[in-house]
Amino acid sequence: MPLLWLILSVLAIATTGYVLGRARVMAGAGGDSRDLHSLPSYYGYNVALKVVLPSFLLLLVWLLAQPLIVNGTVAADIPESAIPDGSSRDLIMSEVRRTAEGLDNAVAQGLMTEDFARSARSDFNDVTQRLKDAGQIVTAQVTQPILEAAQRYRIMNDTGNLILSALVILVALAGAAWGMREMRPEFRARNVVERVVHGVLVAAASVAILTTVGIVLSLVFNTIEFFRLYPAWDFFFGTTWSPSFTGRGGSSELGVLPLLWGTFYISIVALLVAVPVGLFAAIYLSEYATPRVRSVAKPMLEVLAGIPTIVYGLFALLTVGPLLMAVFGKDGLGWMQAGTAVMTAGLVMGIMLIPFVSSLSDDIINSVPQAMRDGSYGLGATKSETIRQVVLPAALPGIVGAILLAASRAIGETMIVVLGAGAAARLSLNPFEAMTTVTAKIVSQLTGDADFASPEALVAFALGMTLFVITLGLNIFALYIVRKYREQYE
Amino acid sequence: MYDAPNLAENKVTQDKIKIAARKVQVYYGDTHAIKDVDVDILDNTVTAFIGPSGCGKSTFLRCINRMNDTIDICRVQGDILLDGQDIYDKRVDPVQLRAKVGMVFQKPNPFPKSIYDNVAYGPRIHGLARTKADLDEIVEKSLRRAALWTEAKDRLDQPGTGLSGGQQQRLCIARAVATAPEVLLMDEPCSALDPIATAQVEELIDELRQDYSVVIVTHSMQQAARVSQKTAFFHLGNLVEYGDTGTIFTNPVDERTESYITGRIG
Repeated sequence: MPLLWLILSVLAIATTGYVLGRARVMAGAGGDSRDLHSLPSYYGYNVALKVVLPSFLLLLVWLLAQPLIVNGTVAADIPESAIPDGSSRDLIMSEVRRTAEGLDNAVAQGLMTEDFARSARSDFNDVTQRLKDAGQIVTAQVTQPILEAAQRYRIMNDTGNLILSALVILVALAGAAWGMREMRPEFRARNVVERVVHGVLVAAASVAILTTVGIVLSLVFNTIEFFRLYPAWDFFFGTTWSPSFTGRGGSSELGVLPLLWGTFYISIVALLVAVPVGLFAAIYLSEYATPRVRSVAKPMLEVLAGIPTIVYGLFALLTVGPLLMAVFGKDGLGWMQAGTAVMTAGLVMGIMLIPFVSSLSDDIINSVPQAMRDGSYGLGATKSETIRQVVLPAALPGIVGAILLAASRAIGETMIVVLGAGAAARLSLNPFEAMTTVTAKIVSQLTGDADFASPEALVAFALGMTLFVITLGLNIFALYIVRKYREQYE
Repeated sequence: MYDAPNLAENKVTQDKIKIAARKVQVYYGDTHAIKDVDVDILDNTVTAFIGPSGCGKSTFLRCINRMNDTIDICRVQGDILLDGQDIYDKRVDPVQLRAKVGMVFQKPNPFPKSIYDNVAYGPRIHGLARTKADLDEIVEKSLRRAALWTEAKDRLDQPGTGLSGGQQQRLCIARAVATAPEVLLMDEPCSALDPIATAQVEELIDELRQDYSVVIVTHSMQQAARVSQKTAFFHLGNLVEYGDTGTIFTNPVDERTESYITGRIG
C-alpha cells in the first residue's frame, strides 16, 4: 500500500474512533455530558490519539530501519568476485539500487510484467535494453550478480512494505480498541490529552536541542580530523594565513589570529556605530516621540533589519567604499589604499545592526514602569535626567542583552565582509586597510574544488568551531550580566 | 454619625494660605474630570482629600505639582496659586515647581538604586549639597525624618527595592523630604501597606506637618480623621465640602458628605 494511503487510512480510523468514542461515552452517561469527568470531545481525542500515536511511531521507526536492513542484507550477499577492481561494495550497491528502481519503473510503464522483473535470470542484454527503453539510466551492462541483487532488493522491500502496512493498520485498530475500552464516564480523558500535549511540547523542544547537538558534533568530528593533519598550536597561535591551493598540505600556513583579529576589529567598528545610534534612536522613540511620529518611524527603522545583507554589501562596495576613498584615499589623507577596508565593512555592518539595538532597547525602555518616571518627575527631575539616572539603569540588563545579540550578529556576518572588507588576512591596526573575517574565509575554503580530506578544506570546520565557541561564550556572558543585574533590580 | 478618634487634637494651628485654587477645571480628552474646584490649602497643616474612586481627588492632587503635564490628553484650566504665584504661568518651570511641591505615590516606587542613592537623588539633581559630607547629612536627616534611619543605616549601599513594602514607602517619603519641598503631596500613601506600616507612616505625616503643608489623598476615613486638620470631600469631579476635619466628620453640611461618611454612597 502506498505510504499516503496508509497514512490516510490511519487518520480515517482515528476520525472514526473520535466519533465512536465520543458517542459511546455519551451513551454511557445517559446523554448528559455533565455526568462525564471531561468534556465529550476529550474522550474522542483520547481514542484518536491512541490510534495515531503508536501507529505513526511504528511507521517512523520502520521507515528508518527498513532501508538500513535491506541494504545491509543485500550488500552482504553480493559475492566478492562480483566487485571489480577499483570499485567498492558501496558503488555496486548504488548500481543495484538504480537497477531495482529501473525495474520498478519499467513495470509501472508496462514494458515488463511483474513476473518477468522478478524472475529474469538470463539474457542481460534484453533486460538492459528494456530498461534503457523505459528511459532508465543504467550505466553499463547489467550483470548477473547485480540483477539478482536488484531482484532481491525489490522483493525484500515489497515484503517489508506489505508487512508494514498490515502492522500499522493492526496497531491502529488495536489502539482504537484500547481507547474504546476506556470510554467510561469516570475515565479521566482530559488528563490523558493534557499529558499528550505536554509530550508534544517536550518533543518540539527536544528537536531544537538535538539539532544543536548534532551541528556541534558534526563540527567536532571534522575539527578533530583537521587537528590530526595540522598542529593545533600553529592554528591557534599562527599569525599568518596563507592556504596553498596547489598541493596537498605541507605548504599551507593556517593561523587563525589574523582572521579573529579581522572579525573583532570589524565587529567593534560596527558596534561603535550601532550602539550609540541605536540606543539614542530607541530613547527618542520611546520617551520623546509623539505617538504619531513613533508609529511611522519605528516600522521604518525596522525595515533596515529586513534588507538582505548582500544588499548592504553592495552598498558598502559601491557607495561607502568610494566615499571613504574620497576622504581618506590617495587624493585625501592618503591612509587608504582601496575602497575595501575594515572601516567600510564596519560602518555598513553598524548600519545593519541599528534596528537590532534600537528595536529591542525600545521595547525594554517601554517596559520600565511609569511609576519610576513619575517618582523622578515628582522630585523635580527633567526628562533627560530621569532617562539617564532612572530609566536606563532599570533597563540596563535588557539593553546589554540587545547589544550582545547585535555583537553575535556582527561576528557571524559574512556578505558585507566579503564585499566590503576585502579578502586579505592581515594583522594590522589601521582601520583603512583591507582585512577579512573568519566567516568569509570559511566560505572561501569550502567553495570551489574542495577536497574534504585536505587540511585546507577541513580548516573551515575548525574555524566554524572557534566561532561557535566564541559566540557561545558571548551569549553565556550576556546571560550572566542580565542575571546579575536582574537580581539587583527586582 | 462616624465616630472619629482624637478629634479634639485635630485643630488647625496656622492660618497662612499656602495654595489657593480658583475655578480649576481638568479635562481628560473629552471627559470633564474636575469641575470648578475652589480650595485654600493652609501651611503647616495636613489636608485630606476624601471621596469615592474616580471622583477626581488624585487628579486634583496631581494638578498641584503639574504632574498632569506628563499626560498628553490632560488639560487644566483655572488658577492654582502657590504662595500667591500662578503655577500654570508660562514663566514657571514645572521642573522647579516639582522640587518645591514633592510627591509620594500610591505604590512605593523606589528607584533601582541603593538606599543612599535613592535619597540623594533629589539633592544631587538640584545641587543642594556642596560636599559629600553635606550630602551624607541630608541623607541621614531625611531618613531620620522618615523614621527609617535605624533600620537602614547599616545597609545604605543595598538596593532600595530590597526593603519591605512599608520601608519602601518610608524611603519614598525620605526621598521626597530630602529635596526640601514646601508642600508634600501624598496619593494614597498607605493603600499598599499593612496596618503597622500604616501607623508608622501616619505618625510620620503628623510630624512632617511642622515643616510642610501636607496634602493627602486617602480612601480610609479613619485615616483622614486621624491625620488631617482639614478635609475636602470630592464627588463626581466636584468639591462638595471643605472644612475642619472635626466639622466634616461630626457635622457635615452637605447631604452627600454625610451619606459618604456613613457609608451610604461610595
